[in-house]
Amino acid sequence: MMRARGDAYDVAVIGAGMAGMAAALFAAEQGLSCIQIGNGGSLLFASGLLDLLAVHPVAEGRRWQSPYEALAALAVDEPGHPLARVDSASIRAAFECFVSALGAAGLTYAPLGERNRQLLTSIGTIKTSFGVPAAMVAGVDALAARPPCLLVDFRGLREFSAAQIAATLAGHWRGLRHQRLEFPGYEAAAELYSAHLARALESGETRRRTIALVKPLLGDARALGIPAVLGLARASAVHAAFEAELGVPVFEIPTMPTSVPGLRLLGALESALGKRGVHRRQQASVHALAFDAHAGTAELELGSVSGCEHLSARAVVLATGRFTGRGLRAERDAVRESILGIPVQQPDSRAAWHQRDFLDPAGHALNRAGLSVDADWRPLDAGGKPVWPRLFAVGSILAQQDWMRAKCGSGLAIATAWAAMGKVRTALRGTVPA
Amino acid sequence: MPAALFQTALYASLVLCALGLVWRISAWFRVRIGPDAQAPTPYQRAAAACRGSVSVLCSRRALHLLGVFFLDVLLLRRLFASGKLRWFGHLLAVLGFALLLLMHALAPLLGAKLFQDYQATLDPYLFLRDLFGVMILLGVALMLLGRSRARTGFAAPRDPAGASFIALLAIVLVTGFLLEADKIASARAFYRMAEQYAGTADPARLKPLRALWASEFGVAFEDLKGPQTPDLLAQGRELHDKACAACHSKPASAFVAYPLARALAPAMAGLEQGQADVWLLYLHVFACFVGLASLPFTRFFHVLASPLSLLLSGAGSAGEFFPAGRVSRRALALDACVRCGICDARCSVAPLARYLGNPLLLPSHKLLATTALAGGRLLRSGREAETVRAADGAFLCTDCGRCTSHCPVGLDLEDLWEAGRADLAAAGLPRPAQWVQARPAFEWAELLEQIPGKAFAAAPLAACAPLAADSGSFSRCVQCQTCTNVCPVVAHGNGAGHGVDLTPQKVMNLLRLGLRDLTLGSRMVWDCAGCYQCQQSCPEGIRVADIMYELRALSVQRLGAVRSHGAQA
Repeated sequence: MMRARGDAYDVAVIGAGMAGMAAALFAAEQGLSCIQIGNGGSLLFASGLLDLLAVHPVAEGRRWQSPYEALAALAVDEPGHPLARVDSASIRAAFECFVSALGAAGLTYAPLGERNRQLLTSIGTIKTSFGVPAAMVAGVDALAARPPCLLVDFRGLREFSAAQIAATLAGHWRGLRHQRLEFPGYEAAAELYSAHLARALESGETRRRTIALVKPLLGDARALGIPAVLGLARASAVHAAFEAELGVPVFEIPTMPTSVPGLRLLGALESALGKRGVHRRQQASVHALAFDAHAGTAELELGSVSGCEHLSARAVVLATGRFTGRGLRAERDAVRESILGIPVQQPDSRAAWHQRDFLDPAGHALNRAGLSVDADWRPLDAGGKPVWPRLFAVGSILAQQDWMRAKCGSGLAIATAWAAMGKVRTALRGTVPA
Repeated sequence: MPAALFQTALYASLVLCALGLVWRISAWFRVRIGPDAQAPTPYQRAAAACRGSVSVLCSRRALHLLGVFFLDVLLLRRLFASGKLRWFGHLLAVLGFALLLLMHALAPLLGAKLFQDYQATLDPYLFLRDLFGVMILLGVALMLLGRSRARTGFAAPRDPAGASFIALLAIVLVTGFLLEADKIASARAFYRMAEQYAGTADPARLKPLRALWASEFGVAFEDLKGPQTPDLLAQGRELHDKACAACHSKPASAFVAYPLARALAPAMAGLEQGQADVWLLYLHVFACFVGLASLPFTRFFHVLASPLSLLLSGAGSAGEFFPAGRVSRRALALDACVRCGICDARCSVAPLARYLGNPLLLPSHKLLATTALAGGRLLRSGREAETVRAADGAFLCTDCGRCTSHCPVGLDLEDLWEAGRADLAAAGLPRPAQWVQARPAFEWAELLEQIPGKAFAAAPLAACAPLAADSGSFSRCVQCQTCTNVCPVVAHGNGAGHGVDLTPQKVMNLLRLGLRDLTLGSRMVWDCAGCYQCQQSCPEGIRVADIMYELRALSVQRLGAVRSHGAQA
C-alpha cells in the first residue's frame, strides 16, 4: 500500500458514487494502492437502503421475495445484464464485505440474510430492498406484523407527511396513528432541513425534549416511525436512546433527498476509505486520460480549482455513472462516453431513445444504453477489442440494465465493482514492476 | 581626514542613532491599536514586557527560543520556506554586511584583534573585503529580483526613507570600491610608502620597484609606459621582497577594485590632481555616518524589530505577556514588517483588490494604513476617501490567515487586522455587513434599479466575479437542497429563531433566474461562514461557497455605489 512519490498507483477509480466507492473499498481490501477521483455528493441522493434486485422482468413489475431467485431468473432471461454475469457467491461476498466495512465505520446494517425486505417510504408506498440500516429494520417488522403504531413528523420538514402515509395505508393497517410535532428549538423556523435536525438530535438536550414530546403520544403503540433524522455520525447512539427511553422499537423512514441516511452513508464510506489509505481527489475531475504503451500505465490529468495534477496508474476503473453522474452525455445525435469517447451501446437513432409513453412500465431504450464490456469488465472499442488491457468499467455506466426500474442500483454497483476488482488484481499480477 | 572631525561626526551619528532607537522602541509601548489597547498605560505595557521576558527566559521555553534564534533569526527558516531566491539574497547581503562591518569598518576595534596577522592589504583580507562587498550587491539584487517576481498588480507602497537608505548603502559600496581602486593605482601613494619603507622617494633609485609595481601591482605611473625588461623586474622583485612584501599581497586578488584600478589608470593624473582620494573618503565615511544615524527612522529598523518578533512568535502565547503584551506586540509588528510583499502575493483577496483598484486590501499596504490609523493620520478630515478605502481593505479581508502563515518575520497579522477593524468600527466606519443588512435584500435590489449604470466600476464583471458572471457555473443546480442541508449558518439561524432570508440553494436559484441583484443584500450572502461544506457536498460540483464570496464582493461594489449615490442625492 505504501507508495513513493511519483510511482504509479495500482488502481485509479474514476467516480465516487456507490460503484466508485465500492471499487475503491474493494481495491484497498485487496491491498492495492488506490486513488479515487470525484465528488461523493451523488451518494447524498441515496436512501441508505441497499437494493440488490427486487423487480424482474421490469415490464411486468414483478417483485421478488428472494433477490437470489430473481437473479437466477434474470440470468436466464437477460444473460447480457451485468448482474447476470456475477455469480451469487461473489454477490454474497461483495455485500458482506461492503456492509461490514460500513459497520466498522459506525453505520450498522441489519444482518443481510437471503430475502428482500419491505419498508415504508415517506409517501406511504412500499419499497422492496435488501440491505437495511439497523435504524430502519424495526419498520420491516412493523410493516409485516402491523401492530398499533405511531408515525410522527415535524412541522416544516417538507416532503414528509405522516398523515399521508397513514392515509395511504388506512385500509390495510388498523391502529396506525399519526401526529405532527414541533421540533424542539426550531419552533420559529419556517422550513426545517433533515440534516440540521439530525445534528440537533445529537445533543442530549434536544433529544430529551423530543423524546418527551413523543412519549405521551405513544398510547398503545408498539412501534414508532419517525423521519430519518436520528443523528448523523452518532446515529446508533441516538437511535438506541430513543428506543431505551420510549420502550418500543423505533424505526426511521427514509426521507426525500438530500437525506440523512445518504449523509451517513457518505460519511461512513469516506471514513472506511480513509482508514484503508485510499487517496482521494474529491474536488478534481479527469481532464484527460491517455495510455502509455511503453510504461504500461494510464496517465491521468486532473483539474480542479487549485490547478492541474498528473498521476499514473497501472489500472483504471471507470465508475462515472450515467447522465447525472456525467459518465454519459446525451448529445443531439447520440449518447457519448464523457472521458474517452468509448463507443456506447445505444439505439440507432434518437427517435428510438424513448417509448411513446413516458410512464411505460417497460422503461425506455435509452435507460439501457451504456458501455459494452468483455468477460473481464473491460469496455470495448468500435472493433470489439478492449480499449486498453487494464481499463475496466463498473456500475450504472454498463449497458443492458435499467437499475431504477429493476431496483438493483446498489447491487449493480457493489457486485460489478467486486467482480471487476478480481479481474483488476489478476491483470496487475503480470505488470507489477520489479 | 582630521581625527577630530571624524570623531565628532561618529559620536554625533551614534547619539542620533541611539535617540532614534529609544524613540522607536518606546513606540512599542505607546502606540495603541485595538479596543484592548486603550486601558494599559505605556508604563504598564513596558513593565509587562519586562516581566514576561524574564519569566520566559527563566522557563524551559528559553531552550526552545535558542532554537528559534538559530533557525528563524540567523538562518531565516521562514523566509526559506517562502522563497529560496530571496532567502539566499538576504543571507548573502546580511552576511556580507556583518563581515564587512567586522573586518573593515570596525577592523581597528575587532578584526585586527581577532586576527593577529590582519592587514587590509594582505591576502586573504584583501580578497575578502571585495568578496563581502560583492555579496551585499548580489544579495540585494537577488532580493529585488525575488520581489519583482511576486507581482500583485500594484506598485509597492512608497517608502522614501527606505529608498534613501538603500541609496546610502549604494554610495558606501561604490565609493568603497572606487577608493580602493584609487589607492591601488595611485603613484602618489606609492612614493609615500616607498619613502617610509624603502627609505627613498627618488624615482631613479626606485626604477626597478616602479617597474614591478607598474606591471604587477597596477600603479599608474605617468612616466612609465609599455612592457618592462625581465632584468629590471627581477631587481624590482628583490627590492619588493625586502621592503614591501610583508604588507602587500598582489592587488589582483581584490577582484573588483583591481580591474577598476586598471580602468582608472588613464585618468589617474587628473584624479590625483583633484584629490579624488580625499573626496571619496569623505563621501564613504559620511555616507556611513548618515546611514547609522538614520537607520532607526527607516524600515531597516527591522534589523532589531524582526528578530524580536520572531522570538515572540517562537515564545508562543507565553510571549504575549497578556493582555498588555499583545497590545505591544501589535505596535512591534508595525516596525517588524520588512515590506517584503510575500503576504501580498499570497493574499486571498488580491483579485478583488485589483478589481476594485484598491491596494489597501493587500496586507503590506493595509499594515501601512494601520500605522497611519494608529498615528491618527488616517481619520483626519479631508482624507475621507482614503479612510473609506482603508475601511474596505480592512473589512473585505476573509481572515484566511495566509498572510500570517507566510510572514517571514512571524507577525500575528490576524490579530493586527482584527484590532484595526475594531478601531475603524469604533471610529464610525461600519462593516459592510452592517450597512448592507440595514435594508432587506429586495429593497437594495429596488434601489439598484434606480442607479445610473455609470455609477459602477468600469472593470468587467468577469474580472471580479468570474463564477457569478458565468451561468455555466451555477446552471447545473438541480435544487436538491444539499447545500442548505449541510449549511451550519442556516442550521444555526433556524435554531436561534432568526433564520436566514435566503438559503444557499435559493441564492443559486435566483442566479439561475438572472436575479443576481436580489441576492446581493441577502443575509445568507453576508452571514456565510466560508466553511465550504456546501461546495464539498454539491452533487453537481457547483462552487457554492466561492460564488457566495463573489456575491459579497459584488455587493460591496454595487451596493456601495448605491450608498454613495444616496449620499450625494
